[in-house]
This record gives sequence, C-alpha cells and structure tokens, in this order.
Amino acid sequence: MLRGHAANRGELGDGMANRPLKEAENRLARFNAERASLCAEVERRVMDRRLALAARGGDHSLEYVLNDAAYHEIRRLETGPHGKDEKKHLPHWRELAKKLGSIDEAEKRRLTAQLVHEHAEDIAGRFDERVYRFAKGIMPAVVGGVLAPARLREGIAAVGDLADRVVVDGPLAKLRACADRGTLIVTPTHSSNMDSVVIGWAFDQAGLPPVTYGAGKNLFSNRFLSFFMHNLGAYRVDRRLRHELYKDVLKEYSTVLLEHGYHSLFFPGGTRSRSGAVERKLKLGLLGTALTAYQNHLRAGEPQRRLYVVPTTINYSIVLEAETLIDDFLAEEGKHRYIIEDDEFSSLSRLYDFSKHILSRPGALHIRFGDPVDVVGNATDAAGESIDPHARRIDPAGYFAALAPGGGQREDAQRDAEYTRGLGEELTRHYARLVVLYPTHLVARALMDRIAAGQGTRDVYRLLRVQQDLVVPHAQIVADIAAWRAHLAGHPELGEIAPRAQQLSDEAFVADALESYAVYHKRPAAMRAGDDVVVQHLPLTVYYRNRTLHIPPLAVHQ
Amino acid sequence: MSDTLGIIGAGAFGTALADVVAQQGTTVWIDTADEADARAINETHRHEKRLPGVKLSPRVRATADVAEVAANARLLILAVTSRRAREVVLQLASAVDGRHAIVHAIGALVEDGHGDAAEVQMVRVSELVRAETAVRRIGVLAGPGLAWDLVERRPAALIVASPFDELVTTAQRVLSAPPALRVYGTSDLAGAEVASALGGAFTLGLGLADGLDVGPGPRALFITRAIAEGARLATAAGGEALTMTGLAGLGNVLARSSPGTSDRSDDYQLGLAIGRGAPVAGVRHSEGSRTVPSLLRLAERLGTRVPILRALHAAVHEGLPMQKVIGKLLESHAEVE
Repeated sequence: MLRGHAANRGELGDGMANRPLKEAENRLARFNAERASLCAEVERRVMDRRLALAARGGDHSLEYVLNDAAYHEIRRLETGPHGKDEKKHLPHWRELAKKLGSIDEAEKRRLTAQLVHEHAEDIAGRFDERVYRFAKGIMPAVVGGVLAPARLREGIAAVGDLADRVVVDGPLAKLRACADRGTLIVTPTHSSNMDSVVIGWAFDQAGLPPVTYGAGKNLFSNRFLSFFMHNLGAYRVDRRLRHELYKDVLKEYSTVLLEHGYHSLFFPGGTRSRSGAVERKLKLGLLGTALTAYQNHLRAGEPQRRLYVVPTTINYSIVLEAETLIDDFLAEEGKHRYIIEDDEFSSLSRLYDFSKHILSRPGALHIRFGDPVDVVGNATDAAGESIDPHARRIDPAGYFAALAPGGGQREDAQRDAEYTRGLGEELTRHYARLVVLYPTHLVARALMDRIAAGQGTRDVYRLLRVQQDLVVPHAQIVADIAAWRAHLAGHPELGEIAPRAQQLSDEAFVADALESYAVYHKRPAAMRAGDDVVVQHLPLTVYYRNRTLHIPPLAVHQ
Repeated sequence: MSDTLGIIGAGAFGTALADVVAQQGTTVWIDTADEADARAINETHRHEKRLPGVKLSPRVRATADVAEVAANARLLILAVTSRRAREVVLQLASAVDGRHAIVHAIGALVEDGHGDAAEVQMVRVSELVRAETAVRRIGVLAGPGLAWDLVERRPAALIVASPFDELVTTAQRVLSAPPALRVYGTSDLAGAEVASALGGAFTLGLGLADGLDVGPGPRALFITRAIAEGARLATAAGGEALTMTGLAGLGNVLARSSPGTSDRSDDYQLGLAIGRGAPVAGVRHSEGSRTVPSLLRLAERLGTRVPILRALHAAVHEGLPMQKVIGKLLESHAEVE
C-alpha cells in the first residue's frame, strides 16, 4: 500500500522517478497559444457536420436546429434557473423563434455559425502559466488551508505533511508512462465540490501532469474559484443549456482537446452522488468523446496515438455536503435539484469545521487511481498497449472496422454509443474494486442491515416514519463489523477498507466511525448510548450506508 | 468483397446452417471437433455423423483449427453444446480481437468460472464471451430453425439479437436464405438469450405433460404459464417480456414439441419418457434437462418466482412422483399476475 507523497515517489523504484515529463507537463502550457485555433477547429467541425446534416432536411434542417435552441432558451429564461443579466436575452430568442420561418438559408447559416461561435467562446478556458506556477506554489497551502486551517498558521513548512492526511495511490508509474504516450481521461467518482480541488492536488502529488476539465458553470460564480479555474484550463459546462447545438459544441470541444493531447478529467456521474452510493449509472456524453477522438486519430493515420481512461475513486470518511445531498436525494422524486448552490461548500464556517475536525485526521481522504483502460474498456499493459482478458495484446483499431472481411474503418454512431455504454459498465466495475471503505460506511451498513431486519423493511421512507428509536446492541454491531471485515478481505472486487482502519480492532473500528459521525455533522448519524448504538439521523446513516450498496448482503443477513 | 461466415461447432444445427448459407454463395468456414470430421467434409462434402445422407455445398470448408476460422471470417457463429461452451470460448479467445463479432446459438446458461465453487454464478453466454474475449460485438441466434427444417429447406425462421444494429443487419444479410430461412432482428440480447435458454426446459415440460396425458386444456395452461414465467425471468435479467412470446421463446418451444419434429427433440423425448413412468435414476439427460438447475440458480440470484422450473427440477432431478409433479405444475398456477 502506497501512502502519501513520500510513498508515491518511493514507488518509482523502476528508474522512472526522475524521468522528465516535459511533453505531459507542457501540454496545458501551450494551451493559450492554441486556444484560438482550437476554437476555430471546433466551430468548423460543428458547422461542417450541421450543414451536411441540414442537406438531408427534416429534423436536421438549420431551421429545426435554431428552433430547438430558441425553444429551450425561452423555456429556461421564462421558468428555469438563470442569472440576473440573462433575462435580457429573452426578447432576442422570442424574436428569433418568430422570424425563423421567413428568413433565408444564408441567414440561418449565419445565425447558426454565430451561435456556435458564442458557445465555443463560452466553453473554452484559458491557461496562464504564471497562474499555474503561482497556484502550484500555493496549492499545498490552499489545499492545506482548506483541509486544515490550523496548519496554515504554522506556515507553509507545516504543510509538507499534508500527504499524511491525504492518501494518493494506484499504478502511478504506469499512469505517467501513459500520460507521456497518449492522452489521459481521468474519470473519478464524485461526492463533493471539494473533489475538483483535491484531485488537482493529487495529480501533482502523483507526478501527473495538470488536466483540463469541464466544470459546472455554477462553480464559476464564485469569483475566487472562477479566476483559478479559468486560468488553469478548466472549461465551462453550462448544464442549464439543453439544446442540441450546445451539446454538440461541448462534445466537439472535448474531442478536439483530447485529440490535441490535453489530458482531461470528467466526472462521469455527471453530478455529485446524491445518495452517497458509488456511481453505477454514468452520463456517457463526454465519455463518448474519447471514442470519437481515437477514431479521428485513426482517420488521420495515427493509430499509435492512444487515449487512456483512468477510473479513479475519491473517498472521504465524512463528506462535507452529506446532509444536503441526502436530503436532496430523499426529497420526492422529480423534485430534487440538479444544481445546488446553497450547500455546505458555500459556507465558510462549514468548510472550516470540516477541515478542522475531519480533514485534520490522517488518511481521512483517499484518492485511488485505477489501471488505465482503452476507449472500449480493455485493460492495458505496462507499455500502454491494449490487452484482452488473457493479457494478449490487441489492436484497438479493430473495434472500428467493418464486419465484412477485409473491411476498413467504418463510421457508426449507434455502434459507438454501444461501446461507450460498455465502457461505462467497465468503469463501474472498476469503481467497486477501487472504492476505499471507511468505518463510517461499514458501521452504517451494519446498522442499517440490523434495523431493516428488525423493522421488516428496507424502505427508507417507511423507516423514517418509525416512531421509536432505531437501536442496535453495540456488541451486535462489533460482531457484524468483524464479519464484514473478514468478507471484504476475501473480496477485493468489492473494495478495500481504508489502510489505517485496517489496523484497528473491531471495537476501535466502531468507535472510530461513531467519533467521525459526531465531530462534524450537526446531528451525528448514530451514537453510542450505553450498550446500544442509536441512530440519531437516519438520512445520514443511509447516506454513509449507501457507499456499500454495490456489496451484496452478507449470508448471515439473508 | 463477398461475405464469409465462420461457424464454430459442426453439430447438426451448425452444419445445416453452414449448408444453407453456403448455397447462397457465401464461403462458410466450419470448425469441427476433430480432424477426421474436417477431412470428411472437405473431401466428400458430407458430415454423416451429424447429418446422415445430406450432401453439403462445396463452399462449406471445414477445419479443426478454430484460429483458421477466425482468420477467414469476422462474423462467427458459436454453435456448440453448453457443455463445450466454456472450453470453446477460451480456445476462441486467443484467435479473436476487436474486429470480430460472435453470435452464439447456445440455448443454455453457463458458469461464470470465477470465485469458489459455492460462488459460481450462472451467466448468459454473451456475458461469458464478453468476460473471456476481446470481442464486444456479441449477439445470439435463437428460434425455431431446427437442423432438419434447414436441411429439407422447409420455411424456417431465426432471430438474431444484439445491441449492435450493425451486427444484427450483417447477420441478417449473411444468414438469410429466403424462402428457406428468414432471419429477424432485435436489440434485446438478454431477453433472447434467456428465452432461448428456457426453450429446452419448457420443451421438456411439454413432453412431460404429454407423457402424463394431461389433456389439451392443462397443456395450453402449461404453455401460457411457462411463457409468463419466462417473461418474468427475461425481464429480471434485463430483457424485454415481449421477446419471450416471439421466435426465441414461444416459437422455439412450439417447434420442438410439435408433432413431426418432437420425435427429433431430445428434450421432448426425455420429458415424454419420464411422464410415462421411466425411472429418473440413470436417465440420459438432454440439453434442456441439464439447463433446469442453472435456470433455477439464475432465478434465485435475480429473485424471480419460477414455479414451473421448480416443478421440472423436482420431476427430472429429484425423482418426485408424477402425481405430485402434476400438482406442482398445474396447481401453482392459481395465482394472480
């Protein structure tokens, strides 16, 4: 088990420790110089495709495309979430919708091109080398400050042992080699808005190059964060925009970045896991751009240029926004909010509490990178070549060949969608194996299993209505934890218990969870009361239990 | 370039399919279990062991080397018994890559081959192919296209199911030989696989009912309840209920248990014999009877209620007296859907 900064470096006993990462390092650095041409390429490709489709008429006509944009924008600006200044665009869209039937094709082309240009400019980020160097210099302090404000007072020198509190591990040498050879697409699980901050730090820790990523436009509303994200290569994803043309530009932007070798990060869950569960259903739109980019390499006669999808888990013993997220999840179906702007992340005092009480604990945050897979989900060997389940090298280009004998590369959007679905399934399998389970998760699981058995229902809504206290004997929980630990030790495909927690006795394991519940949340998930453990906040218990939902029940509970 | 088809498994069905397709002008490479069979097919254009008296198209080329088939064809039909499925898939694994598509014609479930004996799960053949090979474009061929129907060019129909449209249309184009063989298509891979795996078991059940001479009313009751049970299982496995009522499900059962063909169905004959009082001990099991326990395990894993499969298991594997079997088969049907 590799732990922390020193361990990560120590892992590189293969002679790669000081291997320069020039190309990987420099990719984002050249972004500014390329920005204009990247955007132009995006616009040209989208327009070429749209015009070719429009020639077919019907639902593909530019009139339909513009109408779709106008319809969704009018609807959003009339009823949906929008900024103060945005409403002024409403008359423009209404007018456009009204005149669409009467304008000629040249004007429709002009309007479409203009819209594509605006979207591309809105999406594209910047990369400022000076900001990057500055951010890199202060990143340990910022992360350290976020993670443990008390340390900040001790100065930057004290931040060195940040690595003690945050564990970063995985096949780091191999990832570095893949980053040199091709483009990385890092796809982490997503629990908290802190993820974006800590994963950037983790890349640096792991000796990996900085990545670009699509960040929700709502995150750009924070001026401080916005400045950094804008200048560190992040691009803006406006999830409120629902029209096809926007999604088209966004996907093309991602495809072009990947083709140009910009390592990228997607949260394939799309948004923070509301339930607390490890992602099982993924949003495939951006993930699919990896396939497109690879096929563009093939078309350009560059089959050796590869893309690597890196399943990653970001694991917290306690999640900053747990209360808000689970409340949103449990809210009546259809009512939960896709974008939450008023959660714990936006409250400095909650951030402070979280840092002071949770992230000051060693190992409270664990980032685990997985083995990179190719764009259809095949494993890769040390050289970054795709391999089959029996470790035989295979050529990933074959997946895009026609089925007829001797048939060459063939375009097929339906096939690619199916490959991407398969890639998503592969990622969820990797997540289960890569998940790091804390005592908070397993104790919640043991509690919920006993309560469900006692109450005769697993239905959370029914349990929420139970009048009496939900209580389980402490000795029972300790015994169940022993069973869970033994079970997980034999099933690495279901995840691994956090390294530090592995050293604890069963009693101490339970105590660790109860203490973690108590120090940050306003009401703990559960607490000890004499010989019992009493649930104090059922939704939170459910939330932490849900991190184990991918694990089937223990035989003793069936 | 003209189409080429690979067929792994030169049993009656695989050989008959090879012949029908080859007659259309397609070169068909067929993998036989041993070299003598391959030689015989190549030299005499006959496969007497499996299709006695039938002259095969000269475009059927046999080999005992699965790699040779994979080198010559990207579309591969896997037509071996469920007992050989794992072994053959593992052989195939070293010969195929992303360019290939595998369509299996195995009406059974297979063991996933992982974990302890106690944790072995029954999986669909497509899941085995996905887990053990580099191939992603995977499908199933199912339905009432029986070997002798194909040989005698009686109008037959099969269904090919795959989430890949490209694979469905390619398989339809290569395999269709109207009017003798029509190939329908669907995207419901899981549903078609489960329906196909249930075919043998339900055919056995119909043989049993006929052996017991239950009469037309209870026979019809059995069929309709069996289809409903199959639809439940297919849905739980991620498929669509409607698939069970189509070629892969009902069509398959009716074909195998109908007068004229039923004398050639091992499953039907086994059920008939047991229904007529043959002792279960020492009985020679059929593909359908061997599939019953694995279907039950799948149903348990998916939490699906399968009273007919339970009754069939009791009859064929536990030796439950026939009067009790009738009770189990028919009384359990007094339920609300």
